[in-house]
Amino acid sequence: MKGRTGLRGRAAALALLPIYFTALVFVVGPLAYMLALSFLSRAETWGVELTFTVRNYLGILAPVYLQTFRQSLRLAFLCTTLIALIGYPFGYFMARLPQKWRRILSFFLVIPIWTSSLMRLYGWIIIFRAGGVLDSLLMKTGVVQQSLKLLYTYPAVVTGMVYVLLPFMIYSVYASAEKMDWNLVEAARDLGAGKMQAFFTITFRLTMPGLLSGVVLTFIPSMGLFFVADILGGNKVVLVGSVIQEQLMKAHNWPFAAAFSVVLMILTSLLIYLYRRITKVRDLEGLV
Amino acid sequence: MRKLLSGLLACALLLGALAGCQSGGASSSKSGGQLNLYTWEGMFPPEVLEGFESETGIKINYSNYDFGETMLTKLQTAGGGEYDLVIADDYIVESVIAADLAQKLDKSKLPNFGNINPVYQGQFFDPADEYTVPYGAGVQTIVYNPETVAKPITGYADLWDPDFKDKIGMIANYRVINGMALKVLGESYNTGDLDKIQAAGDKLTELAPNVRLIKDDNLQDDLISGEIDVAIMYTSQVTLAKLSKPELEMVFPVEGIGFGVMPAFIPSKAPNAEAAYRFLEYLLRPEIGAQCFEWLGYYSTNGAADEHIAEEFQDFLTLPADFGGDTEMIENIGADAQDLHAKIWTEFKTACGQ
Repeated sequence: MKGRTGLRGRAAALALLPIYFTALVFVVGPLAYMLALSFLSRAETWGVELTFTVRNYLGILAPVYLQTFRQSLRLAFLCTTLIALIGYPFGYFMARLPQKWRRILSFFLVIPIWTSSLMRLYGWIIIFRAGGVLDSLLMKTGVVQQSLKLLYTYPAVVTGMVYVLLPFMIYSVYASAEKMDWNLVEAARDLGAGKMQAFFTITFRLTMPGLLSGVVLTFIPSMGLFFVADILGGNKVVLVGSVIQEQLMKAHNWPFAAAFSVVLMILTSLLIYLYRRITKVRDLEGLV
Repeated sequence: MRKLLSGLLACALLLGALAGCQSGGASSSKSGGQLNLYTWEGMFPPEVLEGFESETGIKINYSNYDFGETMLTKLQTAGGGEYDLVIADDYIVESVIAADLAQKLDKSKLPNFGNINPVYQGQFFDPADEYTVPYGAGVQTIVYNPETVAKPITGYADLWDPDFKDKIGMIANYRVINGMALKVLGESYNTGDLDKIQAAGDKLTELAPNVRLIKDDNLQDDLISGEIDVAIMYTSQVTLAKLSKPELEMVFPVEGIGFGVMPAFIPSKAPNAEAAYRFLEYLLRPEIGAQCFEWLGYYSTNGAADEHIAEEFQDFLTLPADFGGDTEMIENIGADAQDLHAKIWTEFKTACGQ
């Protein structure tokens, strides 16, 4: 008997090997490589020299680079808040719809994702540009006399971010609202709770994991979606992601780019940890 | 839904794997009668490639990269093999030659080598012209819309005029843009003096209120649509802008002219070097060269090709006969200078967003 369980255990461990292998090759490996790289020195023009240094991390403390972290956080907070304000009610009411409509609606939410987000952002350029859809509409209706310079501004960047990331919030909230036991709400109502009270004591708490995973799923990418800021903001909203890309591809300072990435990763991990502590949610819907 | 999604994902993965096999197979094939050409996308008009194939029977495998850095990394991995002919930016070719990844050219196989315009020869990346054949050049100019810009622009310094508030667009190339400020201060593009680079950064920050947008891709569209009135852009973009809006004004800045070259080289262990020579020689023919530069939209590096370039392109694909003056190429600079350039560039972009 004992031998058999041992064998089964070993077989299970063997069956899990591919997972360990994948994790090692695609997660642990690159991370270790990046961490090691961040402590090396750049070569004069091209490549890396094998000398240990902490100069890369000290370099990040320059005001201009700290500013990019502030800028990224500010934009991420703003976008996540807006996304939560739009996405939570959307996901909630979607879960309340009859089965048939839910399916149709979620289908329509998925369709745009089949197109590259880059393409869809160019759509926003057509809307925002001088003499573009929005501009000519406002001018024709007489709301404004002169062309609004809407493209390459901060609001344009925020619009693009919210647009790209909104589905993630909607789906997370929808997933947890859908599997919620609505009898609990009814019970609360029977026991004399008002509509709002029932919502805040029952529904909101039970959909918290969905909201929180939506926050994580939108906050973290919005720290990294620098191409939205580059395309719609005309490169004037400088995010950590664009600094990393520029250091890597143009300045050829790979170790500095690696140090930036390490700091960014620590920062986001810290933020996730804080979310969980504050909201006391253990499981993130569909994430963990 | 989940099934559908995972099915789609599987399809995407499969497609990716197939594409990978295909490109891997094509580039590693070593049989004769092939040319593995490695450069950016869209560097040749299709009829030039087809013309070469039908004339010589050599099949061209055209693979592309987005960044010269990617090319260098691949070439290093392949130990200078795998590809037969590569075209890249001058500064990256300097690194390629320094890393012994390019082979010296046998000029006897290139009788048309003398067609090359000497302005583009003897430059920093290949001082004795031993390794490279230039294929097109970018020349830094200022382009503006005379309908909306009242005062004529003659040089970079004019761009600091407060009249241009929120009207200027520029490429996201910090050596070019920081270099512009260096030129206004009367310095070289390639100065290693950190104080001078910092001074250029401070000067550049003063330009921030005038900058509406910074981007590399399709900047000409913003100039054509009227989003911006003045632009500092890549030569190919200038060509596209001039073709669709001929009234745009193009200026060689008085502070001096920066230019870049795209050299072609044969990697040190190219499997089909002979085919590469035949292709280079083909490109050096005046008529073929003219066809290429018109398609490419870069300045003709082939002096003999200039007269074959159509009238409508003459202005912005060939250098004026009296061209001379102060020209300088952007070269590789030391690590500290490079880091400072990257830093003042980030400061400048941040200032533009304020």
